[in-house]
Amino acid sequence: MITTKPRHARAILRIAACVLLLAAPARASEASADKPNPEMDRKAFQAFFFAKFPRVAKDEFGNGPYAVNEGVRKQWKEIMEFPPYEFALDDGKAEWVKPFANGKHYADCFDNKGEGVRQTYPRFIRETGQVETLEGAINRCRVENGEKPLEPMTGLMASLTAVMAESSQGKPFAITIPDDPRALNAYERGKEFFYTRKGQLGVSCASCHMSPAGERMRGDILAPALGILAAMPIYRSDWGAMGTTIRRISTCSSQTRAVPLAADDEDYRNLEYFLSYMSNGIPIVGPGTRP
Amino acid sequence: MMRKIVLAAALAIFSLPALAATQGEAEAALEAAQAAEAQALAAKAAWTPTEAALKKAGAALEAGEWDEAKAQADAALALARLSLEQASEQKTLWRNAVFR
Amino acid sequence: MRNARFAVFGLVAVFGLAAPPLSARADDVADGQKLALDRAKGNCLACHTLKGGDAPSSVGRELADMKRRFPRRADLVEILTDEAMRNPLAPMPRFGRNHVLTPAEIEEIIDFLYTL
Repeated sequence: MITTKPRHARAILRIAACVLLLAAPARASEASADKPNPEMDRKAFQAFFFAKFPRVAKDEFGNGPYAVNEGVRKQWKEIMEFPPYEFALDDGKAEWVKPFANGKHYADCFDNKGEGVRQTYPRFIRETGQVETLEGAINRCRVENGEKPLEPMTGLMASLTAVMAESSQGKPFAITIPDDPRALNAYERGKEFFYTRKGQLGVSCASCHMSPAGERMRGDILAPALGILAAMPIYRSDWGAMGTTIRRISTCSSQTRAVPLAADDEDYRNLEYFLSYMSNGIPIVGPGTRP
Repeated sequence: MMRKIVLAAALAIFSLPALAATQGEAEAALEAAQAAEAQALAAKAAWTPTEAALKKAGAALEAGEWDEAKAQADAALALARLSLEQASEQKTLWRNAVFR
Repeated sequence: MRNARFAVFGLVAVFGLAAPPLSARADDVADGQKLALDRAKGNCLACHTLKGGDAPSSVGRELADMKRRFPRRADLVEILTDEAMRNPLAPMPRFGRNHVLTPAEIEEIIDFLYTL
């Protein structure tokens, strides 16, 4: 039987204490890893991009490729002398003031008559337990007032969201996640979607819009995920038309050879919720233009 | 004896292309592929090339091209299964992709 | 004795005809290049620059000096088959695993890559 000398016993106790102290924080963070922490995620997410692009001002991130590449920025400034989305703003403003058949207006459905509120969307709706995007809110407004919902990817919907975006220019994203486990779950599902590899190509949103942000994919510059929705809706040269957030997300699904989900699918809405929350503090710049 | 074995091997190798698919086999293959793709769509994990292969299989079946129909259906079945596996693996693996 | 000789000749003939001819190497490189540049297949130029390509892509590293950088052919096979398994952060599509490329096509692309 080996007996331990007193000084050996003290050393062993010291080592044991160190091990326990070092292990304790790990166990604590394991416990909290089960509960989503959006604010911690957001701070880390933004720190990642501020470190990656130290010469890009925070307010510039909404301009995506134009914020991180001088070459395409020059071309963009030239295009912006005659913004290609002007027609959409005109159409949107005309539509906005037209009354519904029942006499009500879009303005009646929104806080502050719909002016300067775009940066608070998507919102978590307690009554439905679902995330509602700006397009969803516009269509709910229409349906609740006896009108048919709009096709959500382009056309009149893009014109209306363009008007709402313009009235919020300069206002930082201000997405709230209420203290409701369903809202936290929606956020976490959006985060999961962002990092999940999909499609036959087996890539995720993060695969291209985190580390490779700012790099070239043939003629295009990959936009950083931070602020990626701040310029929506966009006039995209590739489409020769306007497109809402869901149009771009849906196109991206196809580009990774995944069958796109329905436009109002919960997964897409949760993704938008996550992406927008990650951009809290980044100002709205929309409507925008892209290659 | 040896002569017979060699001749049999030669016949086997050179007669492989003649093992063509029947209509029944092609239809069964397409059914199996469609069932797997239905699962993938329900899981929101479906791939566009799977849909394309199913279309080609259906068109070949219509045209009575059993070999082509079975080949496309088999390819679609493989893709559908792969898409489901990717989705199920990613349910846990996605966390490894969160930046550090 | 005559039967044994006939048997050996027969087996060699049968398996000799089934084996790929050695002169396919040049064809493999050409086929590999076509696959690499095909947007529906390797589409390598979407993310990489390489000699003979015309896109300024910078998502991945330039595909040059490949024999020196990847002396183990098996490494390139793994990268083209499923780099995501080795590196969860990789932007590389899961070419082999997800049947974008067949194993034979991957070999041909590697034959081409080794000329860069």
